[in-house]
Amino acid sequence: MSVPTAAPREWTRAHVVTPFINALQGMVAVVIAMYAGFMQDSERSGEAPLLLILTLGILVGGLIVVGIAFLAWRVNEYRIGDDAVYQRKGILFKQQRQARLDRLQAVDVVQPLFARVFGFAEARIEVAGGRASTVSIKFLKVEEAEVLRNEVLALASGYRGAAEERAEPEDGVASRSETRAAAVAAPDRPVYDVPLGRLIGSIFVSWTFVAVVFFVLLVGSSMTWLAEVDSTASNAGTGGSALVAVLSVAAILWAQLNANAGFRAGIAADGIRLSHGLLDTRRQTVPPGRVQALNIKQSLLWRKLDWWKITLNVAGYQDQREAVSTLLPVGPKQQALDALWLVLPDLGDPDPTGTISTAMVGVGTDNGFTASPSRSWIFDPFQWRRRGVRATERALLIRRGLFVHEFFVIPHERTQSLAIRQGPLQRWLRLATIEVHSTRGVVRPVAGHLDLDDAIALVEDQARRAREGRKRQTPEQWMEAVSR
Amino acid sequence: MTWFSPPGVTWISVSSRLATARLVLWWIFVACLAAPALVVASSEGSAWWVLPITLLLLGVWVSWIIVRQVSAHAWAERDDDLMVRRGRLFRRVTVVPYGRMQFVDVEAGPLSRGLGIARVQLHTASPGSDAHISGVPTEEAARLRDRLTTRGEAKLAGL
Repeated sequence: MSVPTAAPREWTRAHVVTPFINALQGMVAVVIAMYAGFMQDSERSGEAPLLLILTLGILVGGLIVVGIAFLAWRVNEYRIGDDAVYQRKGILFKQQRQARLDRLQAVDVVQPLFARVFGFAEARIEVAGGRASTVSIKFLKVEEAEVLRNEVLALASGYRGAAEERAEPEDGVASRSETRAAAVAAPDRPVYDVPLGRLIGSIFVSWTFVAVVFFVLLVGSSMTWLAEVDSTASNAGTGGSALVAVLSVAAILWAQLNANAGFRAGIAADGIRLSHGLLDTRRQTVPPGRVQALNIKQSLLWRKLDWWKITLNVAGYQDQREAVSTLLPVGPKQQALDALWLVLPDLGDPDPTGTISTAMVGVGTDNGFTASPSRSWIFDPFQWRRRGVRATERALLIRRGLFVHEFFVIPHERTQSLAIRQGPLQRWLRLATIEVHSTRGVVRPVAGHLDLDDAIALVEDQARRAREGRKRQTPEQWMEAVSR
Repeated sequence: MTWFSPPGVTWISVSSRLATARLVLWWIFVACLAAPALVVASSEGSAWWVLPITLLLLGVWVSWIIVRQVSAHAWAERDDDLMVRRGRLFRRVTVVPYGRMQFVDVEAGPLSRGLGIARVQLHTASPGSDAHISGVPTEEAARLRDRLTTRGEAKLAGL
């Protein structure tokens, strides 16, 4: 097959290899588990007939699984139109899905290990919707998936209109191919990457790892002590369960490494590009203005190293949130600033670096922050000094955390709604807490224990700012304004 | 009462029939507990009367809370957003811009229908904006829903 130049406009199936990859993914784990169990069970050899039966059973089971996967693949079709991506699937229960491009939030090209080995990828088109609104097209050749992504983004950006206007009216065909050429060519300018050494370092300099080391030392010493006290005591049980605990934590650490290895962020005309992953790789494209909220955080262990981690909310990402919500897994302050700039090129502040620095490590009312009053110490004996909010022209900054430095950034036009709440003790102290509601995701901004008057003023101002922000927000078709 | 009342805001209290609805449910619950307690007390003697009396006092106290809570529940429509006020001890005001409303639900159970009230629930793209108004008179609820959707369409913004 030659490399495709355009995503299909007619109903098309995914690549024929799909059922095999799907079946393989499911089967490998089962097969390994079964053989391992079998080998453990019959340490005695000479059980050849049993092994044969097992192998035959697995073969038959595998054929059935592949058969079902094949049938599912046959009825799973997709096509793209000018306004939407369409998908229909289902053997018994038919499902038709239409993802409107003006609601596009992100497009990901995901390569699980098995698909990656053979050069295939899954395209995930995330639109704003209720639960499970993702259109997932798998598996395609990597080039096909990339072409699909580029074209979906180009169509969603409104670039097409411009191309058609520029072309001669009778030259409709040429204009379409021009769009596609432009779509394929959207260049990617790298902004930052995370070296593997630093990522591994960040995994080791984490509370999870400290806890593991502590736990291992504890168990080890107690086992030695037990052995000294009573040499006949069987420690196998304790040792075994400790091993399981350590292994499960190791799995968490591994998952972090696997998800974020080779993290690269870049910017292209169609949005922010993030690519990461060791065995399973993921390339995310988030169009401009789709980031709903940001959280910038520094654990106490990272303070000496001046490392920061940034997570974000994008409306389409609902399931597998942890995997897709990282903007910067670990990076020095300058990189964190770059990452922020990537998402919010204009913070609406004359001195963005100074303001962000204050948000990172500052206390009190420096740089225009509205701080929580000192009487709020009763709620936060330590972090009340850090608690504060500041609204720039374009975004709201919420700062908190004395030991864990942390702050939120919410663009005004992305505020869904606001709430102000007050408990009895807060009422007595004339304090109030403000919640800023963002879309479903890992970032949940809350500004705790502000002075009541400040809080009320903030809610009022914020409602006004959000209104103004929505008026000048990035249009749904973000290239439209530029290309007209 | 007016801890959060910016200028130009007129709060509209929910119907007091909401209190009736909640009180009915609450007293049915209390009665279910009190009936066996009464039986025990009348057969076993004086010391057992503590039980139904405690239940009665508890019932009265919670009824007072219900009435207070319902009287604190109110909403206000402004030019660009809807505000919902709720709670006495832990009080809360939610501000939802019309342009952010994804859809509006109006629901009423059998008891609410009998009393002629309904619950209006606003949904935004955020799971956090828990903005619902309980105890809106039925006709008012329909009007409110229509007003909200019209304004939502007029001001609808992308996510």
